[in-house]
Formats: sequence, C-alpha cells, structure tokens
Amino acid sequence: MAAIAVERGQMLGHWRRWAPVAVLLGLCLVVGLINPSFFSFGNAVRMLNTAAIPLVVCMGATFVILMGSIDLSVEGTIALCAVAASMLVTNDLTGVTIGLWSVPAAILLGGALGLLNGLVHVKLRIPSFMATLGIGFAGIGIATAILGGVMVRIADTDFRNWLSLGRLFGIPAAVWIAGIAVLAAWVIQERTRIGRWIYAIGTDEQTARNSGIPVERTRILIFGVAGLFYGLAGALSAAQIGRGHALIAQDRLFTAITAVVVGGTALSGGVGSVLNSVIGVFIVIVLANGMVLMGIEPYVQKGVQGILIIAAVALALDRSRLDVVK
Amino acid sequence: MAKNVSELPLTSKLSRRSVLKGAAGAAAVGSLGGAFPMPALAEETTWTLANSLRSVANPYHATFAKGGEDFAKSIGARYEVLVTEGNSEKGIADIKALLQRTGGKLILNVDPNDSPDARVIVEEVQKAGGFVVTQWNKPDDLHPWDHNPNYVAHMSFDGVPTAEAIANELFKAFGGEGGIVALGGILSNVPAIERKLGLDNAIAKTNGKVTLLDFQPADWNEQKAFEITQAWITRFGDQIKGVFAANDGMGMGALEALRQNGLAGKVPVVGIDGIDAALAAIEAGEFAGTVAWDPLWTGGMGLAIPYAHVTGKIDITKEPKEHREFYGTGIIVTKDTVADYKANPPKVDFNDLWGKATGQIQYRS
Repeated sequence: MAAIAVERGQMLGHWRRWAPVAVLLGLCLVVGLINPSFFSFGNAVRMLNTAAIPLVVCMGATFVILMGSIDLSVEGTIALCAVAASMLVTNDLTGVTIGLWSVPAAILLGGALGLLNGLVHVKLRIPSFMATLGIGFAGIGIATAILGGVMVRIADTDFRNWLSLGRLFGIPAAVWIAGIAVLAAWVIQERTRIGRWIYAIGTDEQTARNSGIPVERTRILIFGVAGLFYGLAGALSAAQIGRGHALIAQDRLFTAITAVVVGGTALSGGVGSVLNSVIGVFIVIVLANGMVLMGIEPYVQKGVQGILIIAAVALALDRSRLDVVK
Repeated sequence: MAKNVSELPLTSKLSRRSVLKGAAGAAAVGSLGGAFPMPALAEETTWTLANSLRSVANPYHATFAKGGEDFAKSIGARYEVLVTEGNSEKGIADIKALLQRTGGKLILNVDPNDSPDARVIVEEVQKAGGFVVTQWNKPDDLHPWDHNPNYVAHMSFDGVPTAEAIANELFKAFGGEGGIVALGGILSNVPAIERKLGLDNAIAKTNGKVTLLDFQPADWNEQKAFEITQAWITRFGDQIKGVFAANDGMGMGALEALRQNGLAGKVPVVGIDGIDAALAAIEAGEFAGTVAWDPLWTGGMGLAIPYAHVTGKIDITKEPKEHREFYGTGIIVTKDTVADYKANPPKVDFNDLWGKATGQIQYRS
C-alpha cells in the first residue's frame, strides 16, 4: 500500500513538472481549432517577437524568485536603461552616438542598478520587496527628470535593425537575442556554482549558510545578474519602439511575475527553473494573442484570463512542500 | 495581458506604489525647480500659481505644466507643479497643503485625477478663498456658476467631433472603402468613450463602405497596442486598411507592430494628442493624422483667466456660461498641414482669454 502511494506521489510529481507544458499545448490547440491561422508561420514569428522582451525580463526575474526574493524594480530599471540606450545612439536629444556600444552600456547600467538592489536589500537588511520597489521608483524618477516628459527619438537604423527589425532566416533579431539570453540563463543555472546556490538559498537559507555558501554575496550578485537582463530588455524595448521614455516598461512587471509563476516557479523559492519561465511567457503570450484571434469580447477577456491563470498555477503548483500557504 | 488579472488582488499594493512613485516624482520636480531659480521680475504678485496634473513623464502633461510656467513668468508669480501620479488622495492632499501654505492666496489649474475629485477640490479651494479652474474631468452636475466666484471655469475638449474628424482623415488615406481596426483607451474613461463614439459616428456615415473589423481597449498603453496589432495582422491580414488609435501613444505601438511586418507606411494609422513622435510619423507618411490639443494654452489659460479676475480685469461672475464651461480647439494635423503646423506652432496670447474657446460644453448622457 505504502509503495503504491509513493509511486502515485511520484507520478503526480512527474505530471506536475510537465503541467505548464500541457497547459501551453492545450491552449494552442483550443486557439488553433477556433482560428486555424494561429498555426501559421507568420503568427508564430509574431508571437515569438512579442515574447522576446518578456523572455529576457523573466530570465532575470526567475533567478530572484528562485532565491525566494522578489524584484519589483523591473519597470524602473528597464525604463532607465532604455532611456540611456536611446540617448547614446543617434537621436534627437543628445549629440552622443556610440552606436551598438550603447547595448553593453545599457546592460551594465542595469547590472549596476541590480547590484544596488542587492546591496540595499542585504546590507541594510531591507526586505527585497521594499528595496527593489524603492530602486524601481528611483529609476522611473530619474528617467523622468532626465527627459522632463519628452521622448527621445532614435534615428540610428543600425541599432534598430540589430536589436529588433532585422531578420535572420525570417526570424526577427530580437528573438535571436532573447534566445541567447535564455541560453545564458540556463548555463548560469545549470553550469555554475552560483546557479546551484540559488536553489540552496531558496530552499532553506539557514542550511545553505551552514553548508558554507556565501549567502549574502550570492544574493547581491544574483540581483546584479537579474539587472543585466533588465538592462538588455531596456535596450530591446528602445529598439522595438524606436523611442526612449520613462513609461516604456509600463506593465512589464506584472507580465513578468505572472509568467514566472504560471510557468511553475514557486514564489516561495527553491522550486522552478528558467525553462519553466520560458513556458510561462509563452502561456501568457498565447493567451493574449488567442483572445484577439478568437474574437473574445474585450469585456470578457480579463475574466477568462484570470480563470486560466489560476487553473495553470493550480495544476503546476507542488503542494507537498507547502506547509503554510500565505 | 495576464497582468490585468494579477492587478486585482494587488490593489492595496498598487496604491502604495503610486504614493511612493508620486513622492519620487515630486522630489525630482522639486530638485529641478531648485536648479533653475526663476528670474526676479519687476511685477511681483502675492498670489501663488499652481498646476496639478498626473505626471510630468507624459508629453501632454509636461507641456501643460510648461504652459502654466510661461504664464507665471509673464506676471512674475511664484509657480508650483503638483503631481498626482494617478493617485486621487495624493492629488487632493497636496492641494490642501498648498492652500494651507499660501493662506488661500492660490490660483489653481487642475486636471483632476478622477471626476469625483473635482468636487472635493473645488470645495476646498472655495473654503480657503482661492480660485480654481478644472480640466477634462468633473461630475456633470458640478458647475462653476454654482460656486461663485472661486470656481472660475472648466475647460475640456470635445472628443466626439474630434475623433470623427480624425477617423475621416484615416478613411481618406486608404480610399474610403475597406476594414479598419481600432484601439481604445481605458473603457471607463470619458475621453475613451467619447472618442469611440466619434469613431462609430464616422463609420456609420460611410454607409457600410468602411467596416470596423475589431475594437480592443489597449488602456492607453503603447506596449499593449503593439501586441494587439500583431495579433490583428494574423487574424485579418490584408483586410486591414487602416488603424484608428484613441491616442498617439497607442498609435505608435500599432505603427511599430506594422513596421515589424513590413506594413509601416502601407497601412495608415491615426492617433490623437499631437505628440512629437506622431508628427514625425505624419511627415514620414506612416501616420495619416493626429489631433493636437495645445496643452501650452490650457496650461497657461487655466491660470490667466482666474488671474484676470483677481486683478479686476474681468468679473468672472458676470461672464456668460460659455466662458465658464468651454471646449478648447483641437487642431487636425495631416500630411498636408504638418509642415505648416510645425513652422507656426499655435501661439498663446495670455490677454486673449477666450480666443480659442469653441463653445459651451455639452452633456450627452
């Protein structure tokens, strides 16, 4: 009897690991049945293109959430990096033109803001929720102060082509870049010591500390790494829209956290992976795309989305490790 | 898209966020003010002037704030910008604090965060003995003449004829026959409702030549507009002859989605607001038109009219109703007029108080 119970538990666990994928496939099937053009190559490319920036953002957000922390500075960091990138390429506001060097500059700026997040959080012992919230607002505040409400228009076609509009094998540049970002995140997660430490810290910080993991340093570093991804997302956003402004990342934060959680990464930390978040992003994107393709009334859309997201999380969540649900 | 759902249980968090964001914004504005002290002018006034608005991060309100500053400079008055950051409580609290600080000697030009806020603001200003002009949002049954003389005027722009006119520009751009898609603002916003009504009117008048393929609210959000337009391209393909956006920000999002699919300049887009990026898109032949609101004028005139009253130049209580509740002029900018518009941007004459007013406000419901 006991053996059967264990086996069933394992099977359930096994199924749960694949639940987000099943949700994604089911969703694709439903949308595709109602509107077959969903499965067209053109639509696949368009969805990939829409997913590119959320994917990059989610790579950073996943690491932080895996540690059991949360990063609410997403929008502020992206906005500041997007504004910085647009002011460094040929534009209608500044005389600076460093072309594609603006991309590493934006990434490093994002990394610096991320480190600041980590330092404030760890050294001042402020919960990551408040620390990152503060840094995020500061980011938007600074972007607003720099621009004073105007927008920077990007005139650098190279920058826009390399980061967004250009295509290789029919796939937009942003998608390739997002692919590289996902690969990089996967390598960090699987092939580096720090990647393994994230899980240890997220599962049980005290045990991690006892086994000699430099918890503080890892935390700060991971916020920095997350910032690098947001910085890249900032450059991509500026290239996609051809402008930089303080509100460019509006709503990115909630998309990111929803996608991470729907993908099966637990907000409590220690469970999940960057690949889960890739699935999560696609669930969110397919859902949004499908609403329009299926012609669902705008008034009904939000309700349908809410139900589907709760269903996805309910299927993916492993409750065996949850003693208390907060 | 899913984020809208996740917002629901986070309402309390959101408001805390807005408060903090507002504080950051206010600090930023404050520090800017300190960096550029106003030149001392001969004609000093004891009245403090202030514009209250949502956020200086958007071009419309940034220009609105600038309009107020221009007028304040012209009379050598102290000028402050109050920022609500989308938070009604913060907006009202800041106004109360400023009334306190100035002992009621305050002239306020306010774009209330939400319609009900206007009543509270008007009552507070009246109690303190200041003067107030409201913009865009107020309850239908709140009228300046019921709060004489302190509630000086209410200014707005009529979304219905404006949206109808710009929709017609869109139809003209693709030859007047075919399907269009439309992006709306937040479903409950008055301007969003008016602009949708204007679009519907324009479509009805084509007698079926123009059809509305789909309407989606993108909540004034450029990114959302981008995503919806991408999905539309899959769903309708080359049935889409034009894109109507209820503001320029969403129009820019739609334009970039078209560009990703090699359709920029082939499928015309129209927007409303007249932001710089939209003007550039008109010049490039990618936008068929936009409507410029002239926020420099509303920003300045909302102070100039009460100032004329307190200095005795006019007696506002003796002015007709169309001088108390009036529409401003939206300027339609198209490919033919954009060069002229940019060469001769609308001028603001602070002595011509109602020169640009176009009739008394209509209540449709």
